[in-house]
Amino acid sequence: MLGKPEWFQRRKYGGWGITPKTWQGWIYIAVLILPFIIFQSLPYWDNNTRFIVTLIWMAILIVDVIDIMIHLKRDEREKMHEAIAERNAAWFMSIILALGLAYYAIVNGLNGKIFIEPFIAIALFGGVIIKSITNYKLGKKN
Amino acid sequence: MIIKTKMTELRKKKDMTQQQLADKVDVARQTIISLEQEKYNPSLALAHKITKALSQKKMEDVFIIEETA
Repeated sequence: MLGKPEWFQRRKYGGWGITPKTWQGWIYIAVLILPFIIFQSLPYWDNNTRFIVTLIWMAILIVDVIDIMIHLKRDEREKMHEAIAERNAAWFMSIILALGLAYYAIVNGLNGKIFIEPFIAIALFGGVIIKSITNYKLGKKN
Repeated sequence: MIIKTKMTELRKKKDMTQQQLADKVDVARQTIISLEQEKYNPSLALAHKITKALSQKKMEDVFIIEETA
């Protein structure tokens, strides 16, 4: 792909994703983002063209970043740290989602409506399924 | 259980830097620092790699397992 994993490191603080580690990483960001900003700032294009270019540009960026993230080199200690941090983040988000679901259920119940926020329910239910699949696969593997 | 290590002593004897050892066993330098400070317990595979990289025959020559009460 376009970017090399050795130019980047896993984002530890302030979210998920990758952050540049070497000057090549910063060049990669500049090369990928600057032409897009220039394109968007020029008045020659109609909305349809802008939309299509943005879509293609985002697809390239997302696919490349995912590819870099998959191939990022991490040793066993770094993998363990990442796993613990992700677990803690997942726990926090799950608790907030569960509280949100309960809040909306109570509020709607008091108003005489039966309504469960679908996105929250899907997130929680999806999480349960992903956890089960992961445990099943890990159990089979080792 | 506590794992003590002689890594620093053995590495210095071999005139190796932390980065050189890290490159040899394919880990980050920070991992070598954590191991030398006895903050991180290595996996069996990593302990084996480090033992080889420090030209030791047995893991017990590099890592000492201390049982806690």
